[in-house]
Amino acid sequence: MIGVDTQLLALLTAGALIIIGLFAAILIDNLIKKIVGLSFIEEGVNLFIICLGYKEGGVVPIFLPGMDSNWFALNSAYPLPQALVLTSIVIGASTLAVMLALAMVLYKKYGSLSTSKILNHKTDMGDEE
Amino acid sequence: MFELIIIILLIITTLVASVLALVQTDLLKVAILTGVSGVGIAFLYQILLAPDVALTQAIVGGAIIPVFLALAVKKTKRVDDE
Amino acid sequence: MNAMIPLIVIIPIIAALLLNLFGKNNKTIKVIAFIVGIILPILTLITGYGLHYFGGHQPLSLSNISGLPSYISSTGLYNLHPAITYNFTSLSKVFIFMMGIVVFLSIFAYLNSEKRASGPFLFLVFMGTASVSAMMMSDDLFNMYVFFEIAALIQTGIIIASKAEDNYETALKYMIIGSIGGPILLLGIAILLAIAGSVNITDIVNIVNTSLIRSPQTRPIVLFSFGLIFFGWLYASGFPPFHVIKSSIYSKAEPYAASVLQGMSLLTLVAFAVVMFRIFGKLNLFKGAVLLISIMAMVLGVSMAVMQTDFRRMIAYLSVGELGFVGLGFGLGTRFSITAGLFQGINELIVTALLFIGLGAVVYLTNTSNTRRLGGLISKNESMAIMVLLGGFAMAGVPPFNGFRSKFMIIEAALNSGFPEISVIAILVSIATFFVFVKAFYSIYLKPQPTDLEFVHETIPRSMVFAVAVLLIICIVLGLYPGLVTNPIAELIGGLL
Repeated sequence: MIGVDTQLLALLTAGALIIIGLFAAILIDNLIKKIVGLSFIEEGVNLFIICLGYKEGGVVPIFLPGMDSNWFALNSAYPLPQALVLTSIVIGASTLAVMLALAMVLYKKYGSLSTSKILNHKTDMGDEE
Repeated sequence: MFELIIIILLIITTLVASVLALVQTDLLKVAILTGVSGVGIAFLYQILLAPDVALTQAIVGGAIIPVFLALAVKKTKRVDDE
Repeated sequence: MNAMIPLIVIIPIIAALLLNLFGKNNKTIKVIAFIVGIILPILTLITGYGLHYFGGHQPLSLSNISGLPSYISSTGLYNLHPAITYNFTSLSKVFIFMMGIVVFLSIFAYLNSEKRASGPFLFLVFMGTASVSAMMMSDDLFNMYVFFEIAALIQTGIIIASKAEDNYETALKYMIIGSIGGPILLLGIAILLAIAGSVNITDIVNIVNTSLIRSPQTRPIVLFSFGLIFFGWLYASGFPPFHVIKSSIYSKAEPYAASVLQGMSLLTLVAFAVVMFRIFGKLNLFKGAVLLISIMAMVLGVSMAVMQTDFRRMIAYLSVGELGFVGLGFGLGTRFSITAGLFQGINELIVTALLFIGLGAVVYLTNTSNTRRLGGLISKNESMAIMVLLGGFAMAGVPPFNGFRSKFMIIEAALNSGFPEISVIAILVSIATFFVFVKAFYSIYLKPQPTDLEFVHETIPRSMVFAVAVLLIICIVLGLYPGLVTNPIAELIGGLL
């Protein structure tokens, strides 16, 4: 049905998302956009993992009654990466929630969302952070 | 052939939405564009033969994460002017 | 099928949930925390070695199923592990037991020095213990990744729960760096899954060592995945370039929490290093990269510790540098050197916990950790000062303590492997550690007390003195009878090589 082009295109998308996310997380100054960049990195890695389990011309790995099990074993997509990604999506959402909560608290303290003001703040003992 | 066009359209939507999300000055639009990108990825998961992951990604990346971002923007500030 | 093995992970998790639930009731949570803190090391001692297959799913070759189609029974699929496997070995026993002792003593010191124990904080400590115990025992790479992410969140939570200034900024920085390091580790694991076909470590070891390393198409992919997993390992254990953020975490957390945090970093380091050694041990790049990073960690740790005036950051940098010795053991690659490195890891766990709790008593008394403003504290409690001094000697490698034994073994291993330069660097780093510690000890305890020093409390709680005394006794026992720890570890390493 859909050729092997699907897997290649999806792998390239995953790579592009990871690179966009890395650039955003390292270079952008605004805290909310930095956190959005980090969520793009996670989405890119999840997409990469799902691409690994794709089988061209295959079926969805749900075993319905009445299927021949040998045919199913040879033709379905590999379900192990899908289980990994389900866990990983939830982990990504939880870390994002914690980071946003910290961002809200820090905004109340500093009045600004700029990373250079918040994270490079010198303490009174002059130690480097 | 038709499927290939849909896949390319989805990929372009996802990548363009993610790049646009990072250059906006209005932070609420950032939240919405992140949601668009998440839903695009959910469609991609369905095409890659992973329907349960597609459902989870649609809910988490399309509804939960934009709502969290919008709440955070509401409690902090709306424009990025530094 | 050994049902006690999952209990080592499940009991702390249940205790954590109960402690969070009854958070308002002070007496209940103190009792629960104390009881579970004692149960955990005892449980590790009485569990027998063995494998535990979750769901009872053994590899097909071990179960008696007949009539399988030929594409299963005559290929490698017949020997693969289909489900998550936990492997309780002598190495896991030693490390989880020591971590249990450190956690129990830290919780004991915490419960008796604060009037109102905090349920969420105890929740974090117990979940942290469960996550690193699972990492040490698990034979499944993705399971280790999940617990690694849990451990990162726990460490962030422990910093948020402290009362230091700037703790929110440090927590946010740690999470941002973790959200880059974690997905990179997952990418490495995914690439290994793609070429080997399984996430079970025993299967991956078989497949990589028999076919993937030899073939010129797959060897670069194995190297790439090694690079990604190596980067995630550097983040988890606090090697350069992450040594600054790790030592910031240790210095911003409360002292009894910092001893738990450094235990968590050490167990994560050991778990992932053993996995990497099993999978990638035959690559030359593995030994070279680990050696280089370990030497950088040792040197950078001590150099940055010399310049600190805040003694919490000083101990933090020293402990990050000492982990370089553990990496050195893995980098040299022989059975003796890995045993020496792991023995050094156990010693570091005990000694750093001793120093954090002991110097935490100073913070308890005066609410400051700046050595320029302290002085003359030996008059408050001489026994505690002497114990902290002996602990510092143990870290620097003075005989007859445990630090001397393990560092001597590492130096001997480096000489045997034909790298005398590494021995010289190790000796220099130990001398510098000794110097840093003596300078700090003088400026905290011995120099004349400045007149503007105010005391928040007058006496050190006896639980802290007890905790430090027990840890010092363990140091002396391990120094006199190192065989208690090195024999079980050496058995396991012999089986790996």
